[in-house]
Amino acid sequence: MKGYVSIQAIDEEWARSYARQALSDLNAREALVNAGAEKCHRLHFLQMAAEKTCKAYLATTNGHDHVRKSHAYIARILPIIARQFYGVISRVRIPHWEISEIRRLAREIEMLAPACDGGEDRRDNTEYPWEGARGEIRTPCEYNFPNVDDGSRQIVRLIRLIRTAAESYCREA
Amino acid sequence: MKTKLETARSLADAHSQAEPSLKRVCLLAPINEHDPNDPIKLLEVVEGTIERGIEPVAFTADPTHGIEYPSMIIEISPSEYDALRGRKIRVGNQDWTISEELVSR
Repeated sequence: MKGYVSIQAIDEEWARSYARQALSDLNAREALVNAGAEKCHRLHFLQMAAEKTCKAYLATTNGHDHVRKSHAYIARILPIIARQFYGVISRVRIPHWEISEIRRLAREIEMLAPACDGGEDRRDNTEYPWEGARGEIRTPCEYNFPNVDDGSRQIVRLIRLIRTAAESYCREA
Repeated sequence: MKTKLETARSLADAHSQAEPSLKRVCLLAPINEHDPNDPIKLLEVVEGTIERGIEPVAFTADPTHGIEYPSMIIEISPSEYDALRGRKIRVGNQDWTISEELVSR
């Protein structure tokens, strides 16, 4: 972990780069939505965009080396970004239950990465087949990911938050 | 233009209003009012957060929304807070101490 006083330009550049890639991932997700792609692909790009946005906010203070290997940042970091955004920047008052829902969705989105199960022995993920509870083989492109409704108002709001947060770092990091 | 301390109070209040699980916000010292590039550092105690240690999240200054200084948020759980009280928080080569309590509920 690096001291904030000695923030190096190279870590700031890593942060900007993560943010730019997050925006590209979101644009790819939009293209997939418009093309009618399976839900696993839409969620995969959402998970990647969320992860890279969180890494942008961590890279300058913790160093790129610290953040580059893990996928497990979304559940903890996205709610912090949400309260800065909704509390300070947008001043759009949203109900507390929606803030709690952002925390739940952030956790679910983090667990979409094959390497993350949130300590729950979850195997469902957007990339690789897995073995279900009764020994059956599940295929991501045929699975409906019931814990994340990617057409819901809360997901639309979350995607807007991720985009705004990434754009903010592209501009000023 | 607000001081860093005034801005820290505004941030803590805004975060508290937005996040129902936020139980406590403490300022981390030193605050270094003379250096506008030195971020405001807030320790935020959130019930139910995932315990993964000290990982500051950095926000840039945003003068268009009244935030003239960069800020840094460290989120921890209540039990992590209990373990940290009275101790220095080491981030890189910096030692920070828990200072003024800005929000408590």
